Amino acid sequence: MIFTIFKKELKETLRDKRTLIMMLVIPLLIFPLILNVVVGLSSSFEESAESKTIKIGVIGETRDYFSQKLQNIPNALGPKTLIPYHGDSVKIRNDLKDEKLDLIFIYDRDFATKLENFISTQLICAFDMTQVGYKKRAERYIEQINIEEQLKRFQALGIDEQKIKPFDIVYENSASSQKMIGELVGGFLPYIFIAFGFMGCMYPAIDLFTGEKERGTIETLLTTPIDRWKFLVGKMMVVICSGLMASFVALLGLFLSINFMDMIPDPEIMKVVHQILSIGFILKLFLLLLPLTIFFAGIMVPIAVYTKTFKEAQSIIAPLNILVLIPAMIGLFPGIELNVQTAMIPILNIVLTTKGLIGGTVDYGLLAISFTVMLILASFAVTISFKQFGKESNILS
Amino acid sequence: MINVKNLHKKFLLNKEQKKELQTNDKYALVVDDLSFECRPGEIFSLLGPNGAGKTTTLRMLSTIIKPTEGSIEIGGINAITHPNEARSKIGFLTGSTGLYARLNAHEFIDYFASLYGVNNKDLTERKNYLFDLLDMNDFAHNRIAKLSTGMKQKVSICRTMIHNPEVVVFDEPTSGLDVITAESIIQLIRDCKSQQKTVIFSSHIMGEVDLLCDRLAIIHKGKLKYQGTMSDFRKNMTETSLTGQFIKTVQS
Repeated sequence: MIFTIFKKELKETLRDKRTLIMMLVIPLLIFPLILNVVVGLSSSFEESAESKTIKIGVIGETRDYFSQKLQNIPNALGPKTLIPYHGDSVKIRNDLKDEKLDLIFIYDRDFATKLENFISTQLICAFDMTQVGYKKRAERYIEQINIEEQLKRFQALGIDEQKIKPFDIVYENSASSQKMIGELVGGFLPYIFIAFGFMGCMYPAIDLFTGEKERGTIETLLTTPIDRWKFLVGKMMVVICSGLMASFVALLGLFLSINFMDMIPDPEIMKVVHQILSIGFILKLFLLLLPLTIFFAGIMVPIAVYTKTFKEAQSIIAPLNILVLIPAMIGLFPGIELNVQTAMIPILNIVLTTKGLIGGTVDYGLLAISFTVMLILASFAVTISFKQFGKESNILS
Repeated sequence: MINVKNLHKKFLLNKEQKKELQTNDKYALVVDDLSFECRPGEIFSLLGPNGAGKTTTLRMLSTIIKPTEGSIEIGGINAITHPNEARSKIGFLTGSTGLYARLNAHEFIDYFASLYGVNNKDLTERKNYLFDLLDMNDFAHNRIAKLSTGMKQKVSICRTMIHNPEVVVFDEPTSGLDVITAESIIQLIRDCKSQQKTVIFSSHIMGEVDLLCDRLAIIHKGKLKYQGTMSDFRKNMTETSLTGQFIKTVQS
């Protein structure tokens, strides 16, 4: 009988445009859209920052030593126009503030003399640090001039550059590519799944419970010789399936974006990503998402049973999304790791466990604790749902 | 057969309801010691003004809600201790019965038939009979959302009768319906009587009651004000119209 109820509710849910949009369309398109926009925008910003002719204000003259050095830097390192300020340090700084200049260099009047006499001097480089590419450009120019001046000094002092450098440092990354990916995107992925799992549950929960009251079908349903808990289970199964489906479709969207939209140019990383997105990983992920989705359904169903209209239900359930995402966001912070304490915190435990699964560093003992915690919470939520669904005041209000 | 004895129903009042009713009482007594009997082949009418407790009584008969006190027997089954068995004998129709708009009539009827445990053979027979009787074949494959009010009401009737119930409960079944659709309901109630079903219906339209019922009970504020046959009610009338007599009974 539960299956009959489930089948009917699923059929109705799949015929609801609003649910279909939230369950299938948005989750499927979100990753391709986000990735496309983010990758497209950042590369176009970088490109335009690289090719932009930036206006550089120099405190001295265009013919002084520093300006000449700057002029000599080839345009391949970034095109530029030099504007001299003839010693007016107030105006140069004001013009930078007013965005008439992109970058300014302030140095002493005797900058060239000090360099010639091997005396250390100061160079102030100022720019708006919120602008993309200015820092890179400034560092590139300064490095070029600095290297030249250093070489000059080495030669003049007869020093072999190699002799004053005790050793070359090579930093090696001991983390596997999988672990790196796990650390970088491992928190973000479950965050997305949690958001979609919640959204996927929301509309069916409201439609199948509040909607039943609003349409006046609940009385008809309750005059049939079926125990109320069977209706509850059948309907909840649809809510859970919708949540899982939304998460699955989001994962599919991600997979399609990675495979067909050329998001990851490095074949090595692509290989690791494919290894991560294995059937085994997906199964483990859904095993974790299952109690989480039951928990979501268990939160939403009593609210949906209690409220009288779709609008009222939506106005209560929608803000819960933020509450649910807070522990998920904590999981994004660096240094937060899965341990016995964090495994006890619902939602955060799912984020951290998924992070471990992606990075291949998961502790299966802690995974079991996380799963059990979520299962207990889910059972608790289902019990509350059952109590609320059976209440006369909720059925007939 | 419906047998109701000393039925009581109290509802816990929330703050808003207390304010609305201007009372400090914790509970509202909606049905107060109601007893009546309704036999097969008989149409029993439950009459009363708005808020009299008619719908609450019928909801208790249909086992949607439980009485605070008293007993209900449906076809010899204790509806309070064995609600599922009692429900399988009841067909319940209200004027505000909702339908699943995203299903078509076939799907809707099939679903309720499966909830009532109707087997495939009986379902096909009953569906053919009712679809022909109610002239539903032309729109049976259309989504319910696209049907007219009259068509929807026919689907509701079909749903009420699909499991061939012994007892049929109608709660203000013609409320808000046009004359033609209301007439189809009246005809259905008559058919139920001729099929020896036990019919109970609530209304506040005296014309309908006069037309249909064999026995009636008038309730007001949950209390029984009158119970007897329709012919006795007419015989003992002191007012010039049935409506006038009904008002007098309620106010007595």
